[in-house]
Amino acid sequence: MAKIALRRVTKSFGSKVAVDDLNLEIEDGEFVIVVGPSGCGKTTTLRMIAGFETPNMGTLHIGGTLMNHVPPKDRNLAMVFQNYALFPHMSVERNLSFGLRIRHTSKKDINTQVHEIAEMLSIDGLLDRKPSQLSGGERQRVALGRALLRKPQAFLLDEPLSNLDAALRTQMRFELKRIHTQFPVTTVYVTHDQVEAMTMADRIVLMNKGEIQQVARPETLYADPANVFAAGFIGSPKINLFSAQVDHSGGQSVLHCLATAIPVTTEIADRLRSAHSETVTIGIRPEEIVLRSPMDHNPGQADISGIVEVIEPLGAETHIAVRVGNETLTCRTPPRSGFEVGSAINLCFDVAQATIFDGTSGLRLC
Amino acid sequence: MTYQARSLKGDEVSADQLAASTSDSSAPAVIQKRRSLSRPVLTLLMVIIGVVFLLPLLWLILASFNPGADDTLALPHPFSLTNYHLVIHAGAGAAIMNSLYLAGVSTIIATAVSTMAGFMLARRKIRFKGLILILVLFLTGLPVTLLLIPTYQIFVDLGWLNSKFYTSLVLASMSVPFSIWLLKNFIGQVPGEFEEAAAIEGASEISILFRIVIPLIIPGILVSAILTFINSWGSFLIPLVLDANPSDTPGAVGIYQFMSANGQVQFGQLAAYSVLFSVPVIILYLISSRWLSGGFSFAGGVKG
Repeated sequence: MAKIALRRVTKSFGSKVAVDDLNLEIEDGEFVIVVGPSGCGKTTTLRMIAGFETPNMGTLHIGGTLMNHVPPKDRNLAMVFQNYALFPHMSVERNLSFGLRIRHTSKKDINTQVHEIAEMLSIDGLLDRKPSQLSGGERQRVALGRALLRKPQAFLLDEPLSNLDAALRTQMRFELKRIHTQFPVTTVYVTHDQVEAMTMADRIVLMNKGEIQQVARPETLYADPANVFAAGFIGSPKINLFSAQVDHSGGQSVLHCLATAIPVTTEIADRLRSAHSETVTIGIRPEEIVLRSPMDHNPGQADISGIVEVIEPLGAETHIAVRVGNETLTCRTPPRSGFEVGSAINLCFDVAQATIFDGTSGLRLC
Repeated sequence: MTYQARSLKGDEVSADQLAASTSDSSAPAVIQKRRSLSRPVLTLLMVIIGVVFLLPLLWLILASFNPGADDTLALPHPFSLTNYHLVIHAGAGAAIMNSLYLAGVSTIIATAVSTMAGFMLARRKIRFKGLILILVLFLTGLPVTLLLIPTYQIFVDLGWLNSKFYTSLVLASMSVPFSIWLLKNFIGQVPGEFEEAAAIEGASEISILFRIVIPLIIPGILVSAILTFINSWGSFLIPLVLDANPSDTPGAVGIYQFMSANGQVQFGQLAAYSVLFSVPVIILYLISSRWLSGGFSFAGGVKG
């Protein structure tokens, strides 16, 4: 097990900067998930840790040792690839034992360890088969087994579940979590799937355009996003984001948005005033919007009328898209809420529960 | 009479084309009739081409069993193995063994060198790689005759003349450029993840080459080896110039003993010798055809 530290790491390919001035410390035994859209630099970061790419600038330490120019074979890491990368000419047994054979481990030890790991992953009946004779899930287990068998300093996983179907993906998520509890080895896991990130990570590293947007525990990332990108990326259905004009001219500060004026509390008003923000972006999670009949306005509460545009019943809950002026807001409601498409509806939310970002920089204000 | 109309896309189409496109039944019938006429013509053409290629082979086989064979195509009368007896007694066996040595050694050397060079050129970041590859490509087109005089001079200086081993080195070097290109492309088809997976498991460069890459491109290596073998097997000028030792004479050079200086040719023995000389190559093709038709299989290794 080892701590991984990247300091001021930059990697570019020609004129394209893939990773820009990245600082990240991964603790011993921590399960960190690097998440972000395609091309955000997450895989490049992982490949630099693995040793397949060399940083142009900055330092990479694994277990306290500078690793910038250490070849992959000498880093004592294990990696699970997106496409499994099982050697097609070798049986499952030989795939699993590849690393041990390279290290000249005795045949007896190899045999014991291979059978132990195969039993743990329920692939003990497949040892004589070739990768082409396995299903996607079985291949994934073999790839995991090959990584586990080595007892490495750290595990690197590059979108390991992206080629599996939805049911198998859920099963493997549990499996990976269970394995990490059993072998608490430092793990860096790259994915573009926020569900994987939210369900498995001790900490999530959110990246965009080669830069880290936020590093936080999953619940923190969801509740307290650092900027508009973090708010928009995490959460399904997506957070509702709309712009508002700040108005401090009257007795009470208001936000002009959604064809109405929403009064805000003194605390929020003070923060907006000190940030000198004239335009802000308001983010409100779908579950924080309440659909109801018209009621009195309270300071800090918005009550807005709209038209039901789309209803998506999901069984356990229903998502309702409501058209308000030029914006469409998604609301999460209990099942069988009784609303109909095209009908008028009143929705309200507590501005104190909303996240407010600066309209220009996108950074969180309150 | 034709008139011009405009299609939906705006390009002009003729009335004939319009008629052809609107008529449901007549157009396919015309095409079918044309096809039914062209098929026998094509078949006849192919048969003629086939016969042109097969006739010399047929002459070769028939003449080899005919003690009184000449340059005409005739059935052996009487059918006899005399020609074969004579060429074997005249040292055809030894010549074929010499050819096997030259072709075998040059194939092993050329394939080994080309596999390693191909691996590095396909996978590693090398300075001036593009220039090196262009140079290698240029070398594939160099004629033997251009290199023979300087090579002979080098052999004289190094005292390598009249040696089968050093001659096979030259034969190998003639095949290396083409083999490098061939194997570089085969290795390029192996998904990079295999090598990365092996590297992170602790495998060294040489281990990756021998444990992962080579087993995955065996069909490609065989193609390269067979081409080198055939190239060296039929090589005439290089062994003739570089190895004058009579006991080292390979089959391709030995064939000349049946053509005398005054223009007389022993056709029967020449044919029998040629048949014997072709046998190892035919066997090689038969053995390797199973591998060659197999192609590469990375199934199950990577998804996608």
